[in-house]
Amino acid sequence: MAHINPSGDQELIERWRDQPASLLPLLHAFHDRDGYLSDDALRAVASGLRIPIADLYGTVTFYHHFARVKGGKARPRVCDGPVCKLQGCDELIVGLDGATAMPCAGRCDGPIPVLQDDEVLIGTQPGALTAAPPLVPPPNPGGIDECVFAEVRDPRRKTLAGYRESGGYRALSRAVREMTPEQVLDVVSGSGLTGRGGASFPTALKWRAVREAGGGPKTVVCNADEGEPGCFQDRVLMDLDPHAILEGMTLAAFATGATRGFIYLRYEYPATQGVLETAIEEARAAELLGTSVLGTELTFDIHVRRGAGAYICGEETSLLNSLEGKHPFPRNRPPYPVTNGFEGTPTAVNNVETLASVPPIVDRGAEWYAGLGAGEHKGTKIISLSGDVARPGNYEVPIGIPLKTVLYDWAGGAPEGRTVQAVTMAGLSGGFLGAEDIEEATLDEPSMRARGSLLGAGGVMVFDDSRDMVEIARQAMSFFAHESCGKCFPCRIGTQRLTERLAGVAGPKEPELWKAEVEDIGRTMAAVSACGLGVAAPGITGSLMRLFPEQVDAHVNGQRK
Amino acid sequence: MSSDGSSNGSSNGSPTLTLDGKVVPFETGETLYEVARRHTSDVPTLCYDERLEAFGACRLCVVEIEGFRSPVASCTTHAAHGMNVQTKTEKLEKHRKTLMELVCSENPRGVEIDPMRGHASQEMTDLAQRYAVDGTRFEGAQSGQSHPDDPNPMILRDYDHCISCYRCVRVCAEQEGDYAISIANRGFQTQITTEFNGFLKGSECTFCGQCVQTCPTGALADNRALQHTREPGEVELTRSICPFCGVGCSVDIMSKGDKLVGVRPAMDGPANEGALCVKGQFGWEWVQHPERLKNPMVRKDGVLVEASWDEALDRAAEGFRRVRDTHGRHAIYGVASGRAPHESAFSVQKFIRAGFGTNQIDNCSRA
Repeated sequence: MAHINPSGDQELIERWRDQPASLLPLLHAFHDRDGYLSDDALRAVASGLRIPIADLYGTVTFYHHFARVKGGKARPRVCDGPVCKLQGCDELIVGLDGATAMPCAGRCDGPIPVLQDDEVLIGTQPGALTAAPPLVPPPNPGGIDECVFAEVRDPRRKTLAGYRESGGYRALSRAVREMTPEQVLDVVSGSGLTGRGGASFPTALKWRAVREAGGGPKTVVCNADEGEPGCFQDRVLMDLDPHAILEGMTLAAFATGATRGFIYLRYEYPATQGVLETAIEEARAAELLGTSVLGTELTFDIHVRRGAGAYICGEETSLLNSLEGKHPFPRNRPPYPVTNGFEGTPTAVNNVETLASVPPIVDRGAEWYAGLGAGEHKGTKIISLSGDVARPGNYEVPIGIPLKTVLYDWAGGAPEGRTVQAVTMAGLSGGFLGAEDIEEATLDEPSMRARGSLLGAGGVMVFDDSRDMVEIARQAMSFFAHESCGKCFPCRIGTQRLTERLAGVAGPKEPELWKAEVEDIGRTMAAVSACGLGVAAPGITGSLMRLFPEQVDAHVNGQRK
Repeated sequence: MSSDGSSNGSSNGSPTLTLDGKVVPFETGETLYEVARRHTSDVPTLCYDERLEAFGACRLCVVEIEGFRSPVASCTTHAAHGMNVQTKTEKLEKHRKTLMELVCSENPRGVEIDPMRGHASQEMTDLAQRYAVDGTRFEGAQSGQSHPDDPNPMILRDYDHCISCYRCVRVCAEQEGDYAISIANRGFQTQITTEFNGFLKGSECTFCGQCVQTCPTGALADNRALQHTREPGEVELTRSICPFCGVGCSVDIMSKGDKLVGVRPAMDGPANEGALCVKGQFGWEWVQHPERLKNPMVRKDGVLVEASWDEALDRAAEGFRRVRDTHGRHAIYGVASGRAPHESAFSVQKFIRAGFGTNQIDNCSRA
């Protein structure tokens, strides 16, 4: 964290060497102390943790937020995500001394975030940056019962006392004292809760697989590497309701038999690390974590590990490699993390929103949660809404509610005098939806998949009729190219080639040939890429060509507006 | 989670699967690629080396499995009983062509890769020919940056031709255990690197050359062999045993006419399975060095002159005898060559112990 640490190399190494998942925190300790990672620091870490130096060098260069030149950590990094582009981040980067661009930093519902050392500033003018406050979701707009947002607008919720006042840790107390792990699994199963990070895998099924897997110690990992552009709901939950995540993880530990937990937090949320660590300290002091949780036999503790800038580390097997200090390529599956996760042991990797949903579910029952959905759908999902929309922000919506209800009735639609041209879904991974889809789609996976899209992690970025959709697509593909890990050929080369074609710097000048190339690349990427990044990325070009063929033709013919 | 990789087998005997319409047996733990390769030689791949852990990078070896939504990489998918697998559908071949077009587009176009670069150096060229790909489609930026300034005389680091299959990095770690090279950066900016992107000489590299021999594009090349590119004649391979030590690594000696032009490890060598060390791989130039001794020499009137073996051995025996008679048997010290196999080392210690009556016997490899 932000404090200046005068410690010597050996002290830092001894502080971390025997801790679980030690590489990232040790690298951060040197990064914080020196303001960059020097060659000497890497040599010290390599010898301290017995990692081959070439390996460590390669792994460090994988992460874009580890500075490798003196003074690098303090240089401003300006978000150039799709929504910040609309706000003029390019001018801000030029105007700020030594600034560089960073991919979406998860504050799309406010002014442009600038990460400077361990502080997040916001603003649009170089001279007028201010400290970034936590962003509270808009008041419950639909008047519909909420799950994870029900209490977050209350500032007292952040402290253990405040959390307990509004019913916090009631679920955990009841679970460890009155319920069996099997009963907790049944409640979660009955609620219909699925992975809210985007994959929609049934949570109870995952937990049961970990519970039944041989070997141990078992692990619960909270995936807080919220890196999808246009998604900023996990940040809000962690900043405003940290104990809900800790309680959710502890319930997961109780249900799965896990004894250790990690929160893998993205680099771009430095203040959040402090919030989580304070909450963990409070929980330990109150025996809500530790060797005897609430006086029972349950043993569980949580460690926060900060990432260092790599979208792919939100992919669960990359995340596990990153935690273990390995090169963060995704792993081949099977085996899956439920049997071979952290250090090869059974591991439940769950998203922040998923885990935060668990305490209210256990507290209020499966039927209550399932009943929050619209129609036959179960539960709720936070939608991060941003871009050309009157009231951007996080909205907790009943799954299955019409998209247009949220977009127009709750968030006020496009700004005055404009109409909505397109929205992205699942941040960027669901590609674009056009006017017709927006009119008809409901916010649930079946409806989205029927339109060739995804609900995913719930990011929706809105673009009005003044926007150049080819340029928006270029930014999106450029993000995927920047974040491609480089392991599998179709993604590594495909994202680059699609970006070049959307930028107009390479590729055929004849629309039919251009489209044939883009389609061929996209088809192969979607079919044979090794992980979700390469599979999802061509959704951008596919939906662009389907929805906006005239803009594509104009682009290829060199007649873009 | 439709395939958990288990392959418990049929009720009677070994498990089977259907491969391109034919029922074939397999052994539990085998991958689909291993099974397929036994029956058909043409599932393409660029990132596979049977000595290394399957990696799943190039995606050329994808196959279709009935009931699976998308093709899977056969190299990382375990065979399971009852699977119905297709290795060569029109769709798969189309994906493979697109993949080859992509990977050829990131390298210099129209450059012939000299087969003398290394054992696997033609893999990419051969596949490009098979899929009729010339690198013109999907044109765009080139990946990888060559390191022509690396002053080592053995390994050429021509990364312009690199396709980021990481076989070099993996063979260095998994086979040689050196961890001298790794992967820097991400995505299209990926680059094979040493620590801090320095020269091989300053790294943990032992110049065993295994990275050169597994490279499927010739991006890493045998610089010693390349010095002989312009020599006239065809390269002939002769199977032999490396003379440097007692391990007995199999090598294929490359020659043009009477001239030795390079050495390759034999991938099927029982002692080395494709591995060599720096001496066996690159230390062969002495064979045709003008100063190499080809006859025994003895000193006459202070001058070394050629002699017959009989004369030379008599002279040596005489010297040993003189030393023993003058200074006693413990004045003799035998050092067996590290290049001698076990049996010869045994003979040397027998000779010293029984012949001279001293236990002063050692081996140069012990230093």
